Amino acid sequence: MRWSSIVGKVQVALCVTLCGFMWGCASAPEKSADTVVRIRCWTMWSGGEEKAFQAVLDRYNETHPGVRFENLGSVNDEKTVRALVAGAPPDVFTVSDPSYLGALAANDAILPLDDLFGKSHLKTDDFTRASLSQARYNGKLYAMPYLVDCIGLLWNKKVFREAGLDPERPPQTIEELEEFCRKITRHGSDGRLTRIGLRPPDGVNLLALYGGGFFEPATGRITANNPRNIEAATAFKALMDAQGGYEAVQGFAAGFANEQGGYNSFYVGQAGMAFTGQWNTYWIAKYKPDTEYGVAPLPYPAAHPERKGTLWLGGNFFCIPKESRHPKEAWDFLVWTQSLEAQRLLADSLHGVPNIRAALKLRSLREGEPWRVSFGKFMDLSDSSNATHFPPMPVAALYLSEINSAIEAVGYGRKTPEKSLSDTQERVQREMDRYR
Amino acid sequence: MRTNSRKTFLSREQRLGLWFISPWLIGFVLLTLYPILATLYLSFTDYRVLSPPRWVGWANYRELLLDTENFWPSLGNTVFFFLELPLALILGLALALLLNQKLRGMTIYRTLFYLPSIVPVVANAMLWLWLLNPEHGLVNTGLRAVHIPAPAWLASPLWAKPALIVMDLWAVGGSMVIYLAALQGVPTSLYEAADLDGANAFQKLVSVTLPAISPVIFFNLIMGVIGTFQYFTQTFVMTKGGPDKATLFYALYLYQNAFQYFRMGAACAMAWLLFLVTLAATFLVFKTSAGWVYYEGER
Repeated sequence: MRWSSIVGKVQVALCVTLCGFMWGCASAPEKSADTVVRIRCWTMWSGGEEKAFQAVLDRYNETHPGVRFENLGSVNDEKTVRALVAGAPPDVFTVSDPSYLGALAANDAILPLDDLFGKSHLKTDDFTRASLSQARYNGKLYAMPYLVDCIGLLWNKKVFREAGLDPERPPQTIEELEEFCRKITRHGSDGRLTRIGLRPPDGVNLLALYGGGFFEPATGRITANNPRNIEAATAFKALMDAQGGYEAVQGFAAGFANEQGGYNSFYVGQAGMAFTGQWNTYWIAKYKPDTEYGVAPLPYPAAHPERKGTLWLGGNFFCIPKESRHPKEAWDFLVWTQSLEAQRLLADSLHGVPNIRAALKLRSLREGEPWRVSFGKFMDLSDSSNATHFPPMPVAALYLSEINSAIEAVGYGRKTPEKSLSDTQERVQREMDRYR
Repeated sequence: MRTNSRKTFLSREQRLGLWFISPWLIGFVLLTLYPILATLYLSFTDYRVLSPPRWVGWANYRELLLDTENFWPSLGNTVFFFLELPLALILGLALALLLNQKLRGMTIYRTLFYLPSIVPVVANAMLWLWLLNPEHGLVNTGLRAVHIPAPAWLASPLWAKPALIVMDLWAVGGSMVIYLAALQGVPTSLYEAADLDGANAFQKLVSVTLPAISPVIFFNLIMGVIGTFQYFTQTFVMTKGGPDKATLFYALYLYQNAFQYFRMGAACAMAWLLFLVTLAATFLVFKTSAGWVYYEGER
């Protein structure tokens, strides 16, 4: 009796507290008296980028009376996931790590956008091919891209000259890349590296060059250890060995300064080449304008010339939660982000590559300051038929981590490429099977 | 409420007491006990966080125990890290013995040796990233100056774990201070008695000092065992498990499963395995302690 009365009191107290708490949470973003719909928008951008996006939102709010988008910046994916699980998600949000997209889609946490897309004026052909395929899972569209990042090859012309290479000619094939690396790499009098040819690339980027693919959506089969990927892992080892071995290269690379700044290893010539993105064109102009460099597509394997013009894509994606309270308003905003005005606004301040084909032709993005010419090269490459990306899939985070481990194990010589990628295959397939 | 007029199971004071501690009780039940029990249930489910858990029986446990790529290496790395325990124990004790001498300016030395342990773990990690930098780090610059081959430390699968151990030993001041406090509590009468018996310094250390502070050594050992099993922050900040999984510690792999791979069920199973292993190890230390830990009250 007494216990139940205590428990009763505790329950009452708890309910009161929880109700008060929930009321406090829920009341804020509802319609206010002047019937402006407030939309809660969570984004990954922080600092200067957050300000850039806020300017875009301000523009939208100005031109769209009746809605008011309120941005919360610096949100990481884990926070969004917790909010989704708790049933208190924002109305629209960005995925900062694209590998989360597949998991969100496979677990039914975000709205498929095909119907809305079909009813809008948007057409698939308006988009660069890979920007939209990155947002699809199981044939359905789950996100809207808003600018993409393009990874291509940057080469330092001064370093090329010093190595006796033609400064105007980047390596075309991977075999040539290896040869250039060997020529560029230098050791000091004590045998330590003082310059390498290629900054160690992400394993997954190297695999992408061979076009072996990672996943067959139709069968749900992981293809980590297909022959092309094994070739790629073998090439990775050869590339690192050409520069003094993976451990030496990693030790040397550990001494590199922050990428954002005047001491970027590529800008100062510690590495003659890098697989890196379009943001460097702006950074170089800002931090080390005397860097002489060129932009090229990633090299292709000589045996597979159809891989010419390969480019690796990442992107900014907006999703609408299943439980968004204002999906229509959120979608209207996403449609607007595909307009020329919105693409130009953000591309100009955030230095991402537009994902709308018409915006790639905007002269204001590729003319004017000298660095915009190099930026334009990235824009040209972004619609290449060999522009590629990691496939959206529920186990993407695990898969990417396993690929990087596999490539590392090959680099350090602990495993053969076959063994390493077969281990990845088995591990990730087992995980993927849980989603069937 | 007029319940106190009736015959009650709990006295008025007991109920008042319960009311006063109720914020803590509620917090404990809701925020600690419930999650702990929930992880036990979840460890038997396929729980991807974004969708409801699905019962799978022992599958998570079976899969973990068969996983020779990540689970066992992560446990192996963690067990390797137990090398640090005796080193930290001996170093902490040795420093405490030195700092227990009666010399001028001792308080300054004590402060200096204790100082590193008040540096926050993350700040400490960032600092050591610089010190151990294979190219520009102070450690390798020093080694090169005396023509000793300089390893790549955190970029080398062979040297990454030793590097972390060295880094942790730098912050040994925390346990040192506890030893120091214990040393000062050893009754001088025991030393006087030993002097009368003609004991030398080493004999006094082994026969008087160590037995007298054995409860404190025991305490540091237990905390060390538990702390080693939970080793996480340094590797999370510095190496993320690399190079080549050399610093993939158990707690880091657990974290990756829970928060990066959407494998919360497996992560919960790992947490329970960790709990059982820690329990067993602590129990073992407790069992052996009867033979070497002396409490004053017992005699």
